[in-house]
Amino acid sequence: MRCVLAFLIALAACRDAHGIVLWHAYNGAERDALEATVTAWNAEHADEPITLVAVPYDAFADKLSSAIPRGNGPDLFIYPQDRIGDWADAGVIEPIEFWVDDARADRFTPASLDAMAYKGSLWGLPMAVKALALYYNPQLVPEPPRTTDDVLALAQREQPHGVFALAYPNVDLYEHAPWLHGFGGSIFDKTGAFAIATPEAAKAMAFARSLVTAGATPEDAQASLIASLFNEGRAATVISGPWFMGEIANVPWKVTTLPIVSATGEPARPFASAEGVMMSSRAHDKDAAFAAMEYLTNDASATTRAKRARQVVPNVHAWDDPALAHDDVLTAFRTQLDHVVAMPNDPRMRSVWTPYRTALGEVVSGRAEPGPMLDKIQHEIEGFQRAP
Amino acid sequence: MTTLGAQARDFVAAALVALVVASAAFVSARNREVVDGQLALAERSAHSLAAGTQPLESSRGGLVGPAIASPSHSFLTHREIREPGRAWHRLDDKLIYDAATRFARDHADHPGSRFAGHDRYVLADGTGRAVAVVRAPNDELAIAITEPAKPAPYPLLVMIGVLGLALALAAAGALAGKRPLGSFAGIAALAVPPLLWSSWLAAGFIIALAAAVALGQRRGLTDRLARGLYAHRTALGFVTPAGLAMLVLVVAPFVIGLLLGFYDHHQGTWTFVGLDNFVEILSGGGRALDDPLNFWFILGVTVLWTICNIVLHVTIGVMLALVLSRTWLRGKGVFRMLLILPWAIPNYITALIWKGMFQGEYGAVNSLLHALHLNGVSWFSSWATAFSANVITNTWLGFPFMMVVALGALETIPKELYEAASVDGASAWQRFRHITLPHLRPALGPAIALGAIWTFNMFNVIYLVSGGKPGDSTNILVTDAYRWAFERGDRYGMAAAYATIIFAILLLWTVFGTRIIRTKGDAA
Repeated sequence: MRCVLAFLIALAACRDAHGIVLWHAYNGAERDALEATVTAWNAEHADEPITLVAVPYDAFADKLSSAIPRGNGPDLFIYPQDRIGDWADAGVIEPIEFWVDDARADRFTPASLDAMAYKGSLWGLPMAVKALALYYNPQLVPEPPRTTDDVLALAQREQPHGVFALAYPNVDLYEHAPWLHGFGGSIFDKTGAFAIATPEAAKAMAFARSLVTAGATPEDAQASLIASLFNEGRAATVISGPWFMGEIANVPWKVTTLPIVSATGEPARPFASAEGVMMSSRAHDKDAAFAAMEYLTNDASATTRAKRARQVVPNVHAWDDPALAHDDVLTAFRTQLDHVVAMPNDPRMRSVWTPYRTALGEVVSGRAEPGPMLDKIQHEIEGFQRAP
Repeated sequence: MTTLGAQARDFVAAALVALVVASAAFVSARNREVVDGQLALAERSAHSLAAGTQPLESSRGGLVGPAIASPSHSFLTHREIREPGRAWHRLDDKLIYDAATRFARDHADHPGSRFAGHDRYVLADGTGRAVAVVRAPNDELAIAITEPAKPAPYPLLVMIGVLGLALALAAAGALAGKRPLGSFAGIAALAVPPLLWSSWLAAGFIIALAAAVALGQRRGLTDRLARGLYAHRTALGFVTPAGLAMLVLVVAPFVIGLLLGFYDHHQGTWTFVGLDNFVEILSGGGRALDDPLNFWFILGVTVLWTICNIVLHVTIGVMLALVLSRTWLRGKGVFRMLLILPWAIPNYITALIWKGMFQGEYGAVNSLLHALHLNGVSWFSSWATAFSANVITNTWLGFPFMMVVALGALETIPKELYEAASVDGASAWQRFRHITLPHLRPALGPAIALGAIWTFNMFNVIYLVSGGKPGDSTNILVTDAYRWAFERGDRYGMAAAYATIIFAILLLWTVFGTRIIRTKGDAA
């Protein structure tokens, strides 16, 4: 009976028409930082308090896609940009450029705000920017490799000691993307058509294969293996994002920008995905909800998140804070943002990941040639888009 | 029970159904009417604005100018609006602003064309407000928004009146000794309001219901049904909760899944495509037969996967059961518990552990091979090894079930049979072949049928261990269906069609496959 009562009370709390419900998938320090900001908002806005609801990341997108069109779901939510295209087309999220003037927009770096735009509208305000960078173990490599040739030289030096020069999940497109862009390849061309099978993309794939044959990179390494290699001192460098910090234990580490691709002289450019706060198209009080969005992304809140959770925040002036300006790790991630490619918001992107992963797996293990493999997956992915 | 009482019972039951149908018809007819009315009003109002006159009553709006982008961001735009009788000023109504932006987004193909495209829709916020956008001269847009809809209330008095009339008709029929006629007239009377709302489907359903009740009464079916329900009321009371749960959790998703197979889902919109999904799947979608995405290739892998697993599960399970059933074996309980353990651990955890053990450089399997001075195997780089890795994992998961079933069956074999056979000089093999095996069959048959279904749909092992590697070639039907749904642009229709085909295959298997197993058992 008590359970039933508790359930009913919880249900009633969800149905409360007052206030703003915010869904997020944060854990640990990021959650603490968000809670601190929300507590501050609630103290100032007792009539429109924000209620935080933590939703597991795995189920997040599907829950939203099904709840919001039925009039349920949150008023606001925090999610990476990559579903914006889907949600905008399906009418799940609210365009917000109506409320945003230039003064508000200039708060953020241009690239991070661009990441929240789709089809001529703005669909969210950025809270954090995530991109890959290079972690290295200064005991093994006092000077991190600056070019891909440096990486191969490091491999020659370290391989006899059983140390990998560079560990990264080399069959995942997300981690392969720095090479893809560094060699001049892409997923979509300027007109928005698929441009997967290009000579540049083939060169990038061949390079990923050469890292394996040179013994620089373990073949088919999963994230957990990479963490243990780095922690055992058997990987000199690792390509990963801010989330990798939590997995490092008992080894000295530093972060720097990704190396320059020697073949082209261009920097390796990872995907940058911005995480932002977005509004449900069925939010109860949209003006109040936008005020909350604005508050969550203002410079003070951004500084709190950067300090407490080490988030790379997109607010330009948050970095004037001396404590943040002198944080080497955050500075490295922020410098990497000068050489990134915005993660495409195109809904078709979601059917690219798995075939690309399959193709990379075939090529880096030497079972297939890059060119024909890329032709095959481009054809396959285009086939998925076609209605029967 | 009196005739009148029985008549009242039948009438109330049928009238309840009819009322639900009629009310649903009312709500849907009213909503359609409200939406049509609001949309028409908004559109007329927008045309009036475009012509330079006032918006119609109970709507507002104005002429909206083109988007003016901020110098730094192309997507930060604002617009100007001119309401009748007022000068141009900055548009500060988000609904009108969004309507203009939406129009510009959807009709970007026809810029400047004066008559191409108009847009009208109802806001999704439950207020029933309609928005209409039409092109006006000078690249302006005439946008009108209606006030919230005022839907007609439920016609309670009409319904009570009709219900009273219907009851009177039914009662009159019963008193006149013509129960079926009275029922038909009474229930069919409830079809009058839906007829007035032009809900032909609902009206037809209610008349059919009336006819069904009348026919049922003539044959005494309703009385028998009522007696049956009354006699078994306790049993039915117990069954109802479970029945409702089955309805909601099994029947409804199943029916919806079947229907989804006839639709295509593409970026948020559903289109009815008939049998196209099935045709695309069964024709292989224009892919060669050895293409890992061709349905027939995947079906071949799935069937091979099922056969390999069942053979190994049964062989290993029966062998272990035979060992465990020996009377001389000590510590039987401990062994039995250890051997059931793989079954007791959630299978995705086991699958992830095995995936780690098959890892090429640091996995336990290859480390063991190295310790034995054998070459390590790159498990997921060729089809045969990747498939074997999947089969090994699933065998680990599957044999305990067969072992438990076989153990149970072995207990039931009378010891005298073996004693008699020994006396007759039968060898150990002969005893196994002619006594043990025939006695195991009745228990193992259903276990194999069930095990085959589980294995056919063993998503976790395939998805987690090989993940389709190399090059998608070790996928089975259910993992490919998953990829259609979640990794190829939300093609839920294709995935549902896949699920329907899998269901059909397994249905054929349960009907015919189990019959084969059973006849074999009977023959032996």
